[in-house]
Amino acid sequence: MKLKTLIAPALAGLAAALIGVSASAHHSTAMFDWGKEKKLEGTIDKFQWTQPHTFIWVKVPGKGGKEEQWGFEGMSPSWLGRHEWSSRSLQAGQKVSLDYYPLRDGRQGGFFVRVKMPDGKTLEALPGGPGRGPPPPSAASGK
Amino acid sequence: MKYTLVPATLVAVAVTAAMLAGCNNAANAPAPNAAAASEAAKPNPYAELNKLPDWSGVWEPARFAGRPNTPPAGAAGAAPSGPPAPPKLTPEYAAKYAAFQEKNRKTPGINFTTQVANCVPPGLPSSMNQPYPFEFLFTPGRVTILIETYSMVRRVYLDGQVKPEETDASYQGTSIGHWEGDTLVVETTNILPETSPLQGIIGHSDQFKVTERIKLEDPETLAIQTTVQDPTIFVEPYTTTSRYARHKDWHIYEYVCAQNNHDSVDEHGNAGFSLERKPGE
Repeated sequence: MKLKTLIAPALAGLAAALIGVSASAHHSTAMFDWGKEKKLEGTIDKFQWTQPHTFIWVKVPGKGGKEEQWGFEGMSPSWLGRHEWSSRSLQAGQKVSLDYYPLRDGRQGGFFVRVKMPDGKTLEALPGGPGRGPPPPSAASGK
Repeated sequence: MKYTLVPATLVAVAVTAAMLAGCNNAANAPAPNAAAASEAAKPNPYAELNKLPDWSGVWEPARFAGRPNTPPAGAAGAAPSGPPAPPKLTPEYAAKYAAFQEKNRKTPGINFTTQVANCVPPGLPSSMNQPYPFEFLFTPGRVTILIETYSMVRRVYLDGQVKPEETDASYQGTSIGHWEGDTLVVETTNILPETSPLQGIIGHSDQFKVTERIKLEDPETLAIQTTVQDPTIFVEPYTTTSRYARHKDWHIYEYVCAQNNHDSVDEHGNAGFSLERKPGE
């Protein structure tokens, strides 16, 4: 397993380069600073279980008491649904800590990597890291 | 329609029983005619499907399943592993490809310039290398490949009923296949000229052809050896192999790209991303 863990991401990069597929299903990761994680704490406004990407909209207290809205794209429902997520994973009003790859242009958003729930449980959206490498053993067989 | 041969004695008993019951419907029923008898003699085409290999389940690209894209240990006759050599390109495309590679080296990830961000599906062969899985359906004279990403469908005709020269160009092209033992060989032409034959190259001529050899390397691994050729682009046919992991217990999700797409690409190939929410969302 250790060997696989090392080999898979390296080959994945090569395969992606040659075959013509971006890491994400339907666009490049151009707009995100892919692999550079940042953290945000806020309140879930809406979780959209939609194609081609899920979205998490988060409310964050901004400067001067004005509420800010942040938007995070994620993998598709099919991917997340096979990796321990569901349409009910996040509810409006929940206070969460969210790790994400930020937008390069500085706008308030990015691509979500994982969400830490109020009960301390963490939902991983990219098990295996930015190269979409090996999922954890519990998810490897799907569900 | 399936006909079953019924022993004459049973028919006689049935007719007699019907008459005894005061029912004369049986006497009015049409006698089996010659056409029906001839039909009954034909083998059921679905029975032929039992001879095919078991490709059931849902197939996920190995790299997303956390598996290396190499043959499983001990796989007999497996395609060669290791990184494929770079393609040999004609001067015009070699320059374009080199420019793309250089741009990609300087600014990784920001040069993926196809129309897929605008929900236009990819064409073959990249439709077979999406992050989400696909499944096969075997029916008489046809193999159908249902790809989750973009809900794409590939129809591979095995029975000669569809001729490429009589079809129009499409994203997945016109696929004609045949079985060589347990290997499905698929030749596809008539792929729309604006699609990408290789990352870094957009567009191809009407001579573009994709040949796939699809087979199981072990019960959990499907290998697709893909050869692309187009004399205007490739000096010689270029072959790569992708592997896929079987998931017997998965199902394919619906995928409607236009549902909530915030991504885009402009005419210069620059990626866009919208943070606007639709009213009411």
